[in-house]
Amino acid sequence: MKESIKPNKPLQINPIKLSQPMGALLCFLGIKNCMPLMHGAQGCASFSKVFFTRHFSDPIAVQTTAVNDITAVIDGGDYSISEAIKNITKKVKPDIVGLFTTGMTETKGDDIKGATFLLKDVQKMAYVHTPDFEGGLESGYAKSIEAIVEQLVLETTNIDTQKATLIPNVNLTPIEVEKIKEQINLFGYETLALPDISQSLDGHLGLKQGALSSGGISVDEIESLGDSEVVITIGNSVEKAGKKLKEKNTNMIHLHFDTVSGLLKADKFYKELMQVKKLKTPHKTIVRWRKRLQDALLDTHFAMGGTDVIVAVEPDQVLSITTTIKEAGANIKAVVTTNNSVSLDSVPCDNVLVGDFEDVENELPDADVLISSFHGERLTTKYKKALQVRGFPNYEIVGNNLINDTLYEGSCYMLFELANIINHHKYGQH
Amino acid sequence: MMVNKKQIKELLNESACSHNKDKKSGCDKPKPGATSGGCAFEGAQIALFPYADAVHLVHSPATCQGASWETRATGTTWDGDDNTQLGYCTDVSTNDVIFGGDKKLEESISYICEHKNPKAVFVYETCVTAMIGDDMDNVANRMQEKYNIPIVVVHSPGFVGSKNLGSRLGGEAVLHQLIGTREPKTVHPFGINLIGEYNVTGDMWQYTPILEKIGIKVISTLAGDGRIEDIQTAHTAKLNVIVCAKSLITLVRKMEEQFSIPHISVSFYGKRDTTNAIRSIVNAFGDEELSKKAEEVIKAEEDALEERLIPYRKVLAGKKAILNTGGNKSWSIASALQDIGIEVVATSIRKSTLEDIEIAKKYVPILMKVPANEQAKLIDDHGVDILLAGGRSLYTAIKKKVAFVDVNQEKKISYGAYGGLENLAIDVCAAVNNDVFKVVGEAAPWEEEA
Repeated sequence: MKESIKPNKPLQINPIKLSQPMGALLCFLGIKNCMPLMHGAQGCASFSKVFFTRHFSDPIAVQTTAVNDITAVIDGGDYSISEAIKNITKKVKPDIVGLFTTGMTETKGDDIKGATFLLKDVQKMAYVHTPDFEGGLESGYAKSIEAIVEQLVLETTNIDTQKATLIPNVNLTPIEVEKIKEQINLFGYETLALPDISQSLDGHLGLKQGALSSGGISVDEIESLGDSEVVITIGNSVEKAGKKLKEKNTNMIHLHFDTVSGLLKADKFYKELMQVKKLKTPHKTIVRWRKRLQDALLDTHFAMGGTDVIVAVEPDQVLSITTTIKEAGANIKAVVTTNNSVSLDSVPCDNVLVGDFEDVENELPDADVLISSFHGERLTTKYKKALQVRGFPNYEIVGNNLINDTLYEGSCYMLFELANIINHHKYGQH
Repeated sequence: MMVNKKQIKELLNESACSHNKDKKSGCDKPKPGATSGGCAFEGAQIALFPYADAVHLVHSPATCQGASWETRATGTTWDGDDNTQLGYCTDVSTNDVIFGGDKKLEESISYICEHKNPKAVFVYETCVTAMIGDDMDNVANRMQEKYNIPIVVVHSPGFVGSKNLGSRLGGEAVLHQLIGTREPKTVHPFGINLIGEYNVTGDMWQYTPILEKIGIKVISTLAGDGRIEDIQTAHTAKLNVIVCAKSLITLVRKMEEQFSIPHISVSFYGKRDTTNAIRSIVNAFGDEELSKKAEEVIKAEEDALEERLIPYRKVLAGKKAILNTGGNKSWSIASALQDIGIEVVATSIRKSTLEDIEIAKKYVPILMKVPANEQAKLIDDHGVDILLAGGRSLYTAIKKKVAFVDVNQEKKISYGAYGGLENLAIDVCAAVNNDVFKVVGEAAPWEEEA
């Protein structure tokens, strides 16, 4: 792993970083009829619920074991967890409960595996350790996928040549997950995503607001993922989850991509799928979209060329964004991210920090554009710089669920949006 | 000192809370698997973060502050860094959990004092830092001596209880470490403290200019648009005014005991309640001149408001509404709606306190205990036009094709006092005139008409 610059102060000032349990919550929201259950004090669940509700403009299902001052000391976890299951199942019948820990219950050292085992006849559950004093949003999401694979997917040696599994990283939006699935389907597959937030957090109007996740991959589908011909992981945070799935069936092919944004990375994605399916040319819409992206790169390179950009999001998304905009000539002035990751090794920038918005502020005077969550708006207003909002949270713009930056098509939209922002900033009337 | 058990017990059994008069146990503990609200830390954050001239350092791992900073539209006139909107966090790591976070806390406070020049630093204890036993008071005391500004520790780990308790704990910290630590040059004869007014969406600014016009001086606030130097002199006010929130009742009771400051509780939602609030404040001083001036100002404000409301009253005349929200909003918004000419058919009391229910009875004929089950039928029975509720009720509104106003969503503009009532009228009119609730409820071409 490339050495990125470590934090230069004892605290975080305006953090970019989000926590592991929040990543776990997003993962469980991509499983159908799931009740995500956060094992901690009630605030962890409440803060996360409000956070994602505002980001997605949609209701978020989550419950808490509501550990209090007494259970914090005398309970090893089994009391508050079994009470929570009792109270949840009084009202709803989840297909699965996704149990994940927080810093507090990890400090206590609760035995969630034991608690899950004791309740196995009452409620199907998956459990994962996600203390918020280590890792971050990406690792919380990835660890949850790994736990789900280990605990639920059945071993097999059979292969269904028409079945593929997609494992997305936490930064991919609901529509991106759907688009990638559709593209894989163009190679003769029925693709399942684990998790599948395109079925739950895509901003669809249901019949009523349920207490459980509103869609996603079903538990039955998860259990039988083992016979997929290929598992495709996108983002370095989830590569290990793909390996875990392959362990369930060594005949499975694991295709890993650190990103599928930008022309060359998307090329690699399609090339490998063509090789698996022994195809000479892909579906004609893929061919067409590649031509559009070639044109988009040329159309946007005037605006993008030489523009100094700071990117401040999660590592896997840093790689996607910088890869795309570098192809059109943007200069990546600085990257400020949340955690160290192998994704940072291939980022086209020498100035990579693990830091916070104070670090962004230090770099901003010499840059033109900031790409970050809505928290960047305060800074870009102060320094009169342009802002493209990406990552979590984005409270100011509606339609986050449908932002697509991936593959040929999404890369076009991403480039056009940024080029327009740059042109407006440089030449528009203020 | 860890979390103070005795103090928490006292706060939960607050004698000034009406429900504690007939119940043996105090405020209820949250139920695992059936809990929705925020924790004690969030309550402390809501109560104290509006002090924009102080840095708010959260001694915690990533979730507590990472998920919650810059979330409320809380205004300030402080012209330095608006610390209310900033997120300071020690970002406790595995290493700190094993070896203790005291050193990191000390270095963080030093960094803040040396680089940010705040008027004070509030340091919030959270679940993990309470459990690993960091001696935050000791660190804070040393830092306070070293840097000569108040370093206030708020013992608010989330697991001790709800948001409400956390606001109380915030109030306690302010009472013990700030109030009465500074004497003002002069003592104003009509000085008040605004307690529990957090100035969300600038609510407070809708009425403080009116109070000033009358001759009342806001000495300090807890904590909307607040200043540390002001709250230090809060003991010299003549009256504590609790605005809507019930959570800081312990604080004002103790201030009454320690400084002989009486308190009143008011609401600034709607025309009638705003007028009543102003009168209650003025009456507490028993000054004839002040009362006379107040009546003049009230008349001028009410007349100007009525003038501005004319176009909206035309749209809203004869419209019926159902209100499904919680706490004091169950009656305060009802009252405001009535003031713009809407008939409020029913209101929810699902999450209201006993006091709130008593007040709600005076405003609204039907009180809904389980609004989710009752509101659809009430819409049909009474020919209701507008549903004001949280997002969950949107589905009911679409099904019944009535206008919907999300009253629980983070608002960007104020509904407070006379000026805010006009904003409410604008928003309700916009909802009534909006086709969206009829359009989205239409069946798809491939669906059977239900």
